[in-house]
Amino acid sequence: MRLWRRLRAITITGLVRAAAVLTILALGLMVWSLLDPSVLPVMLAMSVGQLFGTIAFGMYVVAIIKDLRRARAARDP
Amino acid sequence: MSSDPFLWLALGSTAISVLLLGWYLVRRPPLTRATKLVLLLGIGVLPLMTAGTGNVAGYHATKTTTFCSSSCHVMTPYGNDSLDPASTTLAARHARNAEFGHENCYACHADYEMFGTITTKIGGLRHVYEYTFNYHQLSTEAALVKMEIRRPFANATCMRCHSTQNPTWNAVGDHASTLDRVRAGTLSCASEGCHGPAHPFSKAAKRRASL
Repeated sequence: MRLWRRLRAITITGLVRAAAVLTILALGLMVWSLLDPSVLPVMLAMSVGQLFGTIAFGMYVVAIIKDLRRARAARDP
Repeated sequence: MSSDPFLWLALGSTAISVLLLGWYLVRRPPLTRATKLVLLLGIGVLPLMTAGTGNVAGYHATKTTTFCSSSCHVMTPYGNDSLDPASTTLAARHARNAEFGHENCYACHADYEMFGTITTKIGGLRHVYEYTFNYHQLSTEAALVKMEIRRPFANATCMRCHSTQNPTWNAVGDHASTLDRVRAGTLSCASEGCHGPAHPFSKAAKRRASL
C-alpha cells in the first residue's frame, strides 16, 4: 500500500519521463542482444529488457489515465 | 553485419523510438494530445515492434552452431567437430547436409512437437543454469567427463528424415531385425554399436578418466 501511495504521489510528467528513460534502457538491452547475440545479452534482453519495457508502458498508461482524470475533474468540478 | 530483415526492422524501430523519447526528454513539451501520441509511438508501438522482431532475431541467433559452440567453452569441441569437413562423426556427417547448415546443433537437439520451439528454449535456460553453476569453472577436459545428455536422444528426431519405411532402409539386416525397438524408441539409433556416439568426446573422456 505504501508503494501504491508513493506511485500515486508521482506527478504525471514524472511518470512519463521515468517511462521514457526505462524504455530507452530496455531498448538498449534489446539492441545489445541483437548486435552481440551471445548468452548474457540475449538473456538480459529477453528478461530484464522485456520487464523494463512492460513496466514503462504500464507507467505511461497510468500517466495517461491520471491526466484524463485530472482533465475531467477540471472540466466538471 | 547480418542481413536478417528482423534485425534491421528492430534496429530501425529502436532508432525512431529513441529519437522520439530523446526529443521528449530534452525539449520537455507539454502533455498535449499530439505529445501523447508521439509517446505512445515511442514507449508503446515501436518498442513492441523492437521486442517482437528482436525476439525473433534472438531465436534465430540462438539456433546457430556458432552460438552453441562459442557461448559455452565446454561445447566448443562439439561445434568444431560438427563443422570439420574431415570429421566422420555422426554429427559432422549430418552437419554437412545443407538442410542442417549453420543450425546443425538445433536441427537434431530441438523438440519438434507443437510447442517445440518453446520447450527447446526452456531447455536452453536449464543449459544456461547448468553451465553457470556447474561447468563454467571447469576445463573442457574435466567437463567432458561429467557431461551427460539429459534424456536419451529421441529416435523420433532421426525418424523425421529416416522414416524407417523406406525399402532400402529395411534391406539393412540390423534395421529390419530391430525395427520395432527402433520405432518404439527402446533402441537408440545414436547408441554405441549402432550409429553413435554422435559426438565421441564425452564417452572418450570418461574412458580416459577411468583408466
